[in-house]
Amino acid sequence: MKRKQTLSSLFLTVIGLFLALVFFSPILILLSNSFKSLKDIYLDVLALPNADTFIASNYPDAFEKLEFVKSFANSLVITVCSTVLILIFCSMAAWVLVRYKTRTSSVIFMLFASATLIPFQCVMLPLVRLMDKMHMMNRQGLILMYLGFGASLSIILFHGFIKNVPVELEDAARIDGCNMVQTFFLIVLPMLKTIMVTVAILNVMWIWNDFLLPQLMINKPGWQTLPLKTFLFFGQFSKKWDLATAGLIMCMLPIILFYIICQKHIVKGVTEGAVKG
Amino acid sequence: MKKRVLALVLMGVMTTGLLAGCGNQNQSADNQSEDASKPEADNAEADVEDAADEADAPDVSDADTSDASSGLEGTIDIFQYKVEINDALKAATEQYMALNPGVTINLETVGGGDDYGAALRTRMQASDQPEIYNIGGPQDVIDWEANLADLSSEAWIGNTVDGLLDDVIKNDAVYGMPLAIEGYGFVYNKEIFEAAGIDASSLKTYDEIDQAFGELKEKIDNGDLKEQFPALEAVVEYPAKEKWVLGMHTGNIALGQEFANCTEAFNAKEVEFTYGQELKDLIDLQVKYTSNSDNAAALNAVDYSMQAGGGLAIERVAAIQQGNWVYPIIDEVDSEVAQKLGIIPLPLKGVSEGNTPVGVPMYWAVNSQSDENEQAIAKDFLNWLYQSDEGMQIVVNDFGFIPPFTNYGDAKPSDPLGQAISEAANAGTIAPWVFNGCPTSWAENVLGAEIQSYLGGDKSWDEAIESAKQNWKEARQ
Amino acid sequence: MKKSKLGFWGFVLPSFAMFTLVVLIPAVWGVVYSFTDWNGISKEVRFVGFRNYIQIFTQDGDFLHAFLFTAVFSILAVACVNLVGFLLALLVTSKAKGTTLMRGAFFMPNLIGGILLGFTWQFIFVQAFGAIYNTTGLGFFRNWLSDTKTSFFGLLILVIWQLAGYMMLIYIAQIQNIPDDILEAAEIDGANYLQRLFYVILPLVAPAFTIGLFLSLTTCFKLYDQNLALTNGGPFNSTEMLALNIYNTAFKYNHYGEAQAKAVVFLVIVSVIGLTQLSISKKKEVEM
Repeated sequence: MKRKQTLSSLFLTVIGLFLALVFFSPILILLSNSFKSLKDIYLDVLALPNADTFIASNYPDAFEKLEFVKSFANSLVITVCSTVLILIFCSMAAWVLVRYKTRTSSVIFMLFASATLIPFQCVMLPLVRLMDKMHMMNRQGLILMYLGFGASLSIILFHGFIKNVPVELEDAARIDGCNMVQTFFLIVLPMLKTIMVTVAILNVMWIWNDFLLPQLMINKPGWQTLPLKTFLFFGQFSKKWDLATAGLIMCMLPIILFYIICQKHIVKGVTEGAVKG
Repeated sequence: MKKRVLALVLMGVMTTGLLAGCGNQNQSADNQSEDASKPEADNAEADVEDAADEADAPDVSDADTSDASSGLEGTIDIFQYKVEINDALKAATEQYMALNPGVTINLETVGGGDDYGAALRTRMQASDQPEIYNIGGPQDVIDWEANLADLSSEAWIGNTVDGLLDDVIKNDAVYGMPLAIEGYGFVYNKEIFEAAGIDASSLKTYDEIDQAFGELKEKIDNGDLKEQFPALEAVVEYPAKEKWVLGMHTGNIALGQEFANCTEAFNAKEVEFTYGQELKDLIDLQVKYTSNSDNAAALNAVDYSMQAGGGLAIERVAAIQQGNWVYPIIDEVDSEVAQKLGIIPLPLKGVSEGNTPVGVPMYWAVNSQSDENEQAIAKDFLNWLYQSDEGMQIVVNDFGFIPPFTNYGDAKPSDPLGQAISEAANAGTIAPWVFNGCPTSWAENVLGAEIQSYLGGDKSWDEAIESAKQNWKEARQ
Repeated sequence: MKKSKLGFWGFVLPSFAMFTLVVLIPAVWGVVYSFTDWNGISKEVRFVGFRNYIQIFTQDGDFLHAFLFTAVFSILAVACVNLVGFLLALLVTSKAKGTTLMRGAFFMPNLIGGILLGFTWQFIFVQAFGAIYNTTGLGFFRNWLSDTKTSFFGLLILVIWQLAGYMMLIYIAQIQNIPDDILEAAEIDGANYLQRLFYVILPLVAPAFTIGLFLSLTTCFKLYDQNLALTNGGPFNSTEMLALNIYNTAFKYNHYGEAQAKAVVFLVIVSVIGLTQLSISKKKEVEM
């Protein structure tokens, strides 16, 4: 029995690592090309940089062109604030949408759910006009817009999770005299840890990488985010692959770090058995 | 119930706190990134500031506004599509701002391979519209008429190369300033042709070109040029994935003979494809000398960067159908190759041979919805950029443009392709550039797609042309 | 539980208000435009009744083609993405070593935006596959993205690669919610792995499937960036999906009203599919 288990574990490990490599390869290709000159990228995309072709200068060049520090700060502030708002307000909304079994509640949930079907391009023109009228075409406004756009997906995810959270604890808390706010923040919120992490990761990634909305709303000097700047390496027709690959790797690094850090939290959250009760 | 209300209030406070937290962070980022005298704490404050700017402006503009150093004051936004000149244009605005301390110019460039037309339309939804933007041809003039200022009294009008303004004139008003002159043909690598013993500079007719390419192909296939050009594998690369190359540029070679200019195409209810057969010949010629000659369908996956950067620039191919705009791309990949380039005119067999299509890719437009003062600054900036001595240097050297004006004197394009196009223009061996006069998007998305289906073997040439004709007719009903 | 209306609205309102502002109002506005001849620019907007709607069904073959293509593509993609995502989730929650690393790798594709993904895969399909064909002569690697078939599968591979990790994340959260003692009990009772999978794990993960299917369906139906960057609808518009078709109608052909009409039709159809799917999965959950 034991041996069979080690064998199957070994088998799974080999398959898993192979798949991981396959999944990872496009990013490795980006990485390897970010150390080559434009000419060498064109000569052979798949070749690894060698002693003759290796250059590191794409990184300082891209760093300078991206105004990295400023764009990074913009991206960071926008992403963090938006995600925090989304986590708090969407979990709150999802919670009452699950617990209140009224007609209004299901209509609102359906509105959120079906809105995920609306392609962004369809609301683009009216949106800009409206946001302009409300004087929201700035970074603060953009953060609030992300709350609106992120709400659908996040509420669906929270909704699906909260459905499976037993209601007894909340009832008990209420009997003990907790009001709604206390019940939510003291009892419910701690139980949402796993899904919180998932929602946070998904939103952080989406907002961090988002291109179209910032381009429409805050494409002003000093306000631009990292993706906005990076995509200046992509003209309508021509592509500066040398700087673009380096820029993209620099754009991805923070989020990879974020993921690695959060990974620990996922594992921790699970081992603590936050949902066992 | 009371408790609930209290809870809600508390929540509200918490929310405000959160938002304020963000606001503060933003503010500190602002202070680092922007002029310290202009912190933007929140919307309200920013609005007050805008209002103040606007209130200030007219006072100053009461003074003479036509002169560059007259103390213009105000802020204008430029919304432009040419990513390639973004850095140089930014430097130019800074230079201008140094000359005019009261002026602030914000530059917005649309990147990410995004479609400029869509971005512009969205941008124009905002009340704070850009003062300077780009328009294409007669259709844009009609679409944007409410946002176009008449430029006919500008100083540069008299210096513009003849005929370049035709597409942006309506009811005697001039609505655009030409960005540059561009032209295209077979951009070729002189050294490769020389190594094969071919004098490409005199190639004009279809048959001459066919023969020369044939000779070169034979040498490549025999491996005669392997030592000198290890990457060389074919004479031509044809990026059929790019519908604009097929439909707009290749197509224009034939349509430019059917219609004399944009306006004529623009007024045509139908297209005849008088030279449809010759157009097919030109496409077949290019296909025949690519590495996919036995399998034209494969070309539908070849894009611009594989043709220019990954083709001509690395000497994988010897000639490509492109324009002088590829120079910076080739130069970035390999500056030595960039110096070896020349242009062979694209032939329309037996109809127009030895002529280079020359035209204006886009025009600068000034927004008539902006207030007078801002329009004055916008006009002044454009005039400075294209007509002052320092501006001319920027246009020619930093943008790498072929100037659309006659008064540039010694300031001539420094790159070989720009020179070749200028020479053709001066010699008058040019062909018209009519695709901006086709129905909206027709050249690229209809004709281009039809040529793709011809290459892919899904349609015969006649079927493809017939379908394109039909579509034109419907669009012009 | 005592329910207060005020409490309900207090909790829902912050997100619902912003959602209304940026999604609902512009969407309704868009519906209004679908009855006009607006070109996206001009100040003159005339109401034309249902003309746009009639037009897209009677005159615009491209729209129907795009719709069919999108439907077929989405069905296949949703099946593949969720299957792969679920298998990956099983893999990384199994006893295999190095699952942390795997999880990261499977999820990584989500870190790159759609436009860039498209460009990267274009490189791979065209350049790398081409190189492989030239050295090995295997016909499979020939001419990717140059015809409708390989463009279709190219898009499919890209979407699986991008979304499977995302779905995996959702399934992991659910699988880890399964209490260990239930699985242990099943094992002690002599259930083999497949039995445990079908009778214990699958039913308990079912709610996540509802979410997973719904999310991947909407993502596939709305696919835009990847479509634009990988094939741009080519060759000859044969791989043009709905979002791209709508976008092109609005911004390339300047028929904004018609594009909005397409968007409305699109939305209605997808809502019907989505709701059906949702109610079917809900029934399943109950049955299990």
